Amino acid sequence: MKFFFITFLFLCALLKSQEGRIWDAHSAYVIPEKRWEVGLFQAFRYGYSEGYEYSTHPIWFFIVPNLSIKKSSGEVFGHKTARRFKGYYPTPLLNMVSKAGIGGLIDPGLTIPPLVGLSGSVIGSRSIYGFDYSISAGADIGITSGELDYRSNIDLPMIYHRMGVFFNGWGLSWGLDIQKKVKENIRLHVDFDIRLLPGLSSKNSNYFYNMFNGESSLEHKFLIIWSRSNNFRIITGYKLVTGQFPYGVDTRVLPYIPMLEQWVPILELQWAGKAFN
Amino acid sequence: MVSIKTPKVIIIFLLLKGCEPFVTEFDESSEPVLYTSSNVNKVNEPYVGGNVKVLTWNIRFGVGRFPFFGDSCGDEVITRSDNVALTMEAIADTINQIGADIVLLQEVDVGSKRTGYWNQVQYLLDNTYLNYGLYASMWKADFIPTDGIGRINTGNAILSKHELTDAERIQLRLRADQSDLVQYFYLRRNILKAKIPYFSLGGADFYALNIHATAFATDDTKEQHIGKYIDVLSSIDDQGDIFITGGDLNAVPPGALTDYCLSDFCDGEDYHADGADPYHKEGSYFDNFPGEPNILLPLYNQFSPAIDTTEYNKDIHFTHAPSTSTSDDAGITKHDRKLDYLFTNRYWEKNLSQTHQGAWKLSDHMPVSSLYKPLDN
Repeated sequence: MKFFFITFLFLCALLKSQEGRIWDAHSAYVIPEKRWEVGLFQAFRYGYSEGYEYSTHPIWFFIVPNLSIKKSSGEVFGHKTARRFKGYYPTPLLNMVSKAGIGGLIDPGLTIPPLVGLSGSVIGSRSIYGFDYSISAGADIGITSGELDYRSNIDLPMIYHRMGVFFNGWGLSWGLDIQKKVKENIRLHVDFDIRLLPGLSSKNSNYFYNMFNGESSLEHKFLIIWSRSNNFRIITGYKLVTGQFPYGVDTRVLPYIPMLEQWVPILELQWAGKAFN
Repeated sequence: MVSIKTPKVIIIFLLLKGCEPFVTEFDESSEPVLYTSSNVNKVNEPYVGGNVKVLTWNIRFGVGRFPFFGDSCGDEVITRSDNVALTMEAIADTINQIGADIVLLQEVDVGSKRTGYWNQVQYLLDNTYLNYGLYASMWKADFIPTDGIGRINTGNAILSKHELTDAERIQLRLRADQSDLVQYFYLRRNILKAKIPYFSLGGADFYALNIHATAFATDDTKEQHIGKYIDVLSSIDDQGDIFITGGDLNAVPPGALTDYCLSDFCDGEDYHADGADPYHKEGSYFDNFPGEPNILLPLYNQFSPAIDTTEYNKDIHFTHAPSTSTSDDAGITKHDRKLDYLFTNRYWEKNLSQTHQGAWKLSDHMPVSSLYKPLDN
């Protein structure tokens, strides 16, 4: 159970990285044509052409079908820019965790209807004084087919605000990623992501009963990246989530082992290669 | 001016805060949470020894007859907002009608997902004549990863017209018949104790104590809980002080039936059959260890019960009506055992103790009220 719970949180945390914050996926640059990159938990990314990059998370794919496309654009105010579009279908996973007993994260009496999440964002990247930074802004849309019961929220950091898009219908996000090369093969990575769900708190609430009293979250990650070669990297660090939740403000460092009451560092291995012509 | 060190301090603070335990564990003795009504109406007249009305009630976290998976034959977990709203309103109305000076509540939710993060202590203070409240959690966790429970905080509360001081949460022993993993995420039951200076009399301090003992343990946990309870009460009595106490003891009175497995069983369950495992239903069998049927005898021998020994096994004083207690579609109901009690080391007004069985729709436990009096006149 512990393994399931920690893995669930951890994968949720790293699914976010599919949006591009580990390795150089965070930036407005697409990876070279026919190059692929993959990590233990990171998305599989593939350079389809000079201007397009596709990615999907292989571990999640069968329970959360997902696809992301990044399209390179021109320069704006000295920033290299790109547009990213993402779609995912979380219904199978959510219905898997709507169960009785250990591992049940949603009331087993509730069935999650078909849900489709769509995201679009604009990314701008630039190097200045040896720092590589990227800024992004985006909008999320949650499409539900059928009634999504308001009791089916999951009040966990990382998950609550992502699921909130389906209860609220839409959301906004902003991101800032900074990388700095400190040695020949070591880089530091810091990022911050803000997620807003305007109007969510007013849904299904009265003065005392409120399932959605929390509209914002801030996620922060600090990583140390050691590149053994262009084709293999090891990453470690922490992820911190703070935000408003129905029960108040909460802050968590992930991943976290409940029974041992301690945080453990993220550990990620990544590989890359070239597809055959 | 913001120092250059400020971001480091903030990050260190957030990292430390982010590593707080998922499950809240408690010391043997700790401080409960104090609440105050948003509209306090203080009583200015001094107390001169009159009767004090006391009420105990396990309110089942304000969900009424909701088919909660944990304590009924239901399979649901998170209740709807209208269900909690209507039930809590009716509970507040019932308390207002009974008009007790001291209210001992069990299974009160404060910020649990299953009841929409409702702060039920504050709600009851704001919607009754009661002014002060104390709360001691018996189950507090950021996240329970089973059955969709999620965040949980439920426990005992004392509500009072008069100020509560010297409050203490006394930890009861954890169940020992569970795995470490289950025990970690499970309930931590307690006794909630407070002084009410207003009712002090003749140099004797006045205490109110509230307990919710184990329901489902099949080892000696219940014996430990009742034993600790008696120790705490005896200690107050030995000091010459006064107490009123009550709660859900999850134990039947001496002489009562001890086996309710067949009346409590749900569809698909099988008890008392060859090879049935467990043979008895947890929480429905009261003879798990030697002496359990008479586990409350010392309380009756040492202290004064609101419902005395000649009355406690009568139908009109049964306080528990499980989910199987609707006997037919016409809504005929029944109460079949007494689990909730009031005691004092002084006196109760004779024949004025009452089990309010009309509250059947509001909980699976019925409120019990009585009139404490300091002198036997």
